[in-house]
Amino acid sequence: MLTAVKNQMRVCLLSIKYNVMREMVNKVTFLTNVGFMVLNNASFLVQWMILFRLRGEVGGYTFREIMLLWGLVAASFGLSHILFARVFSLPDLIINGKLDAYLVQPKNVLVGVITSSTDVSAIGDFLYGIAIAAICGPGVGGFILFLLFTVTGAVVFTAFALLLGSLSFWFVRMDMLQNQMVMGIVSFGTYPDGIFKGVSRFLLYFIIPVGMAVWYPVHVIVRFDAEMFFTVAGYAALLSAMSVAVFYRGLRRYASGNLMVARM
Amino acid sequence: MYGWGKRNAAGALSLARGRGGRVKGMPWRKYAVIYRLVLLENLQYAANIVVGFFSYAVFIYTFIMLWEYMYRTPGELIAGYTKEQMIWYVMMTEMIWFGSGAASVAREVSTDIRGGNIAYLMNKPYHYTLYVLAKYTGEWSVRLPMYAMLAAGIGTLMVGPLPGFPLTAVPGMAVCVVLGLTINAVFKMCISLFSFWIEDAAPFQWLYDKLLLIVGTMFPVEIFPKALQPLFKLTPIYTVFYGPAKLIVDFSPEKCVEILAAQAVYLAAGCGLMFLIYGKGVKKLYVNGG
Repeated sequence: MLTAVKNQMRVCLLSIKYNVMREMVNKVTFLTNVGFMVLNNASFLVQWMILFRLRGEVGGYTFREIMLLWGLVAASFGLSHILFARVFSLPDLIINGKLDAYLVQPKNVLVGVITSSTDVSAIGDFLYGIAIAAICGPGVGGFILFLLFTVTGAVVFTAFALLLGSLSFWFVRMDMLQNQMVMGIVSFGTYPDGIFKGVSRFLLYFIIPVGMAVWYPVHVIVRFDAEMFFTVAGYAALLSAMSVAVFYRGLRRYASGNLMVARM
Repeated sequence: MYGWGKRNAAGALSLARGRGGRVKGMPWRKYAVIYRLVLLENLQYAANIVVGFFSYAVFIYTFIMLWEYMYRTPGELIAGYTKEQMIWYVMMTEMIWFGSGAASVAREVSTDIRGGNIAYLMNKPYHYTLYVLAKYTGEWSVRLPMYAMLAAGIGTLMVGPLPGFPLTAVPGMAVCVVLGLTINAVFKMCISLFSFWIEDAAPFQWLYDKLLLIVGTMFPVEIFPKALQPLFKLTPIYTVFYGPAKLIVDFSPEKCVEILAAQAVYLAAGCGLMFLIYGKGVKKLYVNGG
């Protein structure tokens, strides 16, 4: 059992390594993609500088806390797109019958699928997030918490995308819904939760998991709360288990597209 | 979707041509045919556009919540805008942003150049850049009115009608919006045409988009420090987003003329630049066969 898991992990790491190496063939394009994504994210500093010029705090957050929010979204989003980029195009694989190539491999289907591509620009997102966390200085403990929550955030991003993407086994056009809901986490997550009220706040904590991926973690980093910490970890684990179950349930319905695909 | 459009556009062009392969009548007729075909195609798939409303609603909802929080007292002014004007300004700029879908122009040009399809398209009896613009116009002709209706609905429901909105000025505003998004498409195409020299122009598109998004759509120019405002008015921000949205929230005939004049200059300069880059780019083209 343990050997099988170790083998699977090794294959995953090799897959990610070769994905990145393939993207690095053209070094200029690779570096431009990464560098410009950092600049792209940094441009939003202007937005918050303007808003903090108008008010000393926004939604109960200081400028430093907003930056932590941004850093965590960028790092989590980046990590999930570096390791599991294919999960974000899962509906395309399902609808067009492109899963066949993964089904015949003697390894775990789901892990094989989701680790089969890497989004290069996501490296820029990840680096930006880590740099912001280092600059905002939450302290050593805070930085370790930031890294931990980057992992739980990436798990939430990936699991949420997997859950919605797996619905393609039953429904068409889930690609658009998946994309919009995942980007919804980014759009809402880069604003403080203090500006949302009532039903919308509830939806953003429990339906679109912005609260669990970003807001709770930032609260814990700023002021440690063990209950919140374990709520986030538990939610990430539960969402993952649910999304994996939905994927394998849907996989039983999968019909091959009779498509000849060469994976290189 | 694009493959269908191209095949049909090519077929329709042969109908639009007279004997000897020359286009009868006005040279713009072939672009009108392309426009009409893409328009009809997009009308068939109008329901797909509705799915995109979710992202727009997310953006707008967030900004309504944000400005509700930022304005603490009734009647307060920020950078000369009331809360209602500020929210309507953002709704209009985001309506242009989402309704124009200018990313499709950038994507199509980059894909054509990188994939080699440009070698096939540049030999057709049209100018490639104008062909892309005609197609793009057919796309937004369906999408933009749908987003405009959505914006008007959300705005009226959540913020209330825009105070002092002159219905008679709608044609002038519409012309400004159309010119604005055409200028945006031309500049995005200019950036994508750099794919002739560099493999991937997408990173430059990100920066251009962010400049427009942050400085042009999220805030009116007046909110920035006074020293920067004249500088922003020289960038595409003024002609693409700020100008048209400012007219909608605070219309004045003098402002309308000023914005239209700026747009005419920008469009002429943008098209000149686009033809120049394309002309130089196609000379760099290597076709590897296949």
